[in-house]
Amino acid sequence: MATKKFMIGVVPVGDTPVFVAKATAAHISGYLNLPTEILPALDTPSFAYDEKRLQYNAGIIIKTYEALEFGCEKVVALLDIDLFIPLFTHVFGEAKLGGKCALASIFRLKMERDGSCPAPSLVYERAAKVALHELGHLFKLRHCEDNRCLMHFSGDLEQLDRTPIYFCRYCNRFFKDALVDNSDSSFNS
Amino acid sequence: MKENMSIMVVDDEMIIRESFSHWFEKSGHKVSTAASGFEALDKLKEYPFDLLFVDIKMPGMDGIEFLEIVKKEYPDTFVVIITAYGSIESSVKAMKLGASDYLLKPFKPEQLNLVLEKVAQQKKLTGEIDYLKGCLDTMTRFDNIIGQSKAMVDIFELIPEVAESEASVLITGETGTGKELIAKAIHAKSKRNAHPFIAINCGAIPDSLLESELFGHQKGAFTGADHARKGFLEVVSGGTLFLDEIGEISTKMQVNLLRVLEEKKITQLGGREPIDVDFRLISATRRNLEQDIKQRNFREDFYYRINVITIEVPPLRKRKPDIPLLVEHFVKKYSRETAKRIDRVTDSAMELLNNFEWPGNIRELENAIERAVVLSKSRTLDRKDFSFIRSAPVEPEKTVSLSEMEKEFIRQALEQNEWNITRTSKVLGLHRVTLQKKVKRLNLRKSG
Repeated sequence: MATKKFMIGVVPVGDTPVFVAKATAAHISGYLNLPTEILPALDTPSFAYDEKRLQYNAGIIIKTYEALEFGCEKVVALLDIDLFIPLFTHVFGEAKLGGKCALASIFRLKMERDGSCPAPSLVYERAAKVALHELGHLFKLRHCEDNRCLMHFSGDLEQLDRTPIYFCRYCNRFFKDALVDNSDSSFNS
Repeated sequence: MKENMSIMVVDDEMIIRESFSHWFEKSGHKVSTAASGFEALDKLKEYPFDLLFVDIKMPGMDGIEFLEIVKKEYPDTFVVIITAYGSIESSVKAMKLGASDYLLKPFKPEQLNLVLEKVAQQKKLTGEIDYLKGCLDTMTRFDNIIGQSKAMVDIFELIPEVAESEASVLITGETGTGKELIAKAIHAKSKRNAHPFIAINCGAIPDSLLESELFGHQKGAFTGADHARKGFLEVVSGGTLFLDEIGEISTKMQVNLLRVLEEKKITQLGGREPIDVDFRLISATRRNLEQDIKQRNFREDFYYRINVITIEVPPLRKRKPDIPLLVEHFVKKYSRETAKRIDRVTDSAMELLNNFEWPGNIRELENAIERAVVLSKSRTLDRKDFSFIRSAPVEPEKTVSLSEMEKEFIRQALEQNEWNITRTSKVLGLHRVTLQKKVKRLNLRKSG
């Protein structure tokens, strides 16, 4: 399958509703001005299930997905499972700097600390923030100190809700530069 | 402003090392990993890390053992203990040993960020404390003289007593022993400390210029005197004048200074009016002035005037217990100046520095440390960093007679000229017959 230049693939995984994928894709298009494509859904990654922790290992999922050919430059997989990396109790999403595939999970985004359910629109917005943040890492953006930037690290839902859905001007600049670099390497490859 | 730190993760589990690496890279920190305490210690020798994340349970050397070594050898490095086997005892022990924090695996992502913020804050405070300590060291001049040897302790006790009096002081000692520092300490402890301390190296200034520098001159006093200028004897008013290498000044200048010391008045070059002066004289020399007096190179009356109190500063080779202290002081000084982190000097290097004779005394030691700090690529100064001082040990002092010196000197000249009498006599500026007689008298024979 030929690689589509700058096409960002959005893959719903397992039980993730397709409209969450659609909302995330719309946010990516809207805020980053990049074309997106909803890719066929993948099965729940049971291969990454950790029976001791009763969670899914994000590192293993990324490793597996990066070996797949999606036909897009970068891919964001949207999941509805509880993700972890060995260090942490949980993660909302995960991506490697400069990698090809990012994960964003809505599992912990659809329930407040007090057990209540937030409005669906808030869940979509949170999912889009996590997806865009992880996508930033795929374009080699690091965590930003500015808490008014999407690349600022959010450890919990309160922080995530306070974080805006756009980059600060420095990260925006880095993102655009990274996009140009990516474009060059794509043309050269 | 966020400060990026150099971090090392020490954990035997590869998955944990990778997790940390990816996370820290995303936060812009420079990260390295080690699978054991031993590997981490090797890396620490090569590169200064700000922060270490150390697992408690590791084969070979456990985290607590490793923490103890790190805190002993690299006290400025922050350590955060991580473990999946947390217990109150191990966390208390780790904190007592100097760990900055303690994390139980797995932890919430925001906990790691809090730890990083806390360590960054501690690092900033440590940096500020170091800076202020440096400022304080510079300000407290008396404390700049370092030593624990008996000779130096005696001098430390003498300084406040000498400072109280107004008597002239003569400081003797080899070059580089810190004579000026002692003069400054006396000034700093004296009642004159609110007034200037002026140091003049008499050996570095030609006699004619020295006169004008000390006494000052009127406009037109000599060619080039375009304007009137006050001399140091006048400028120092109320303070202390330190004349280094006093043994180098001419007898004429000695007479002039003697008069000033007796009358407390000077007359500028080209001037007529005497000017009152008020200063305390501290002189220093590396020469044996009593010998110079015998050879009529130095005036006896001037000698007794400047030598009311004598302080003899021993050469570094006679105050070996001070070397480790001086080394530590200079390592800190140049680490700060060059912004290089040097934590320690190895035992082997210290042994080399202790055994060296240091003919240039403290100045030479200071230069050696500065050079080693500048050129070192690791945070530990080892023997190899001082390879440049190996080849120049000084022979122990030995008194030789003039005839022995003459014999040795002629023997060397003969050997350099392959025992050719004509050639050697030309080199030595002697008649060949004279040289032949000397060779016979001194019983010099070609060896081999």
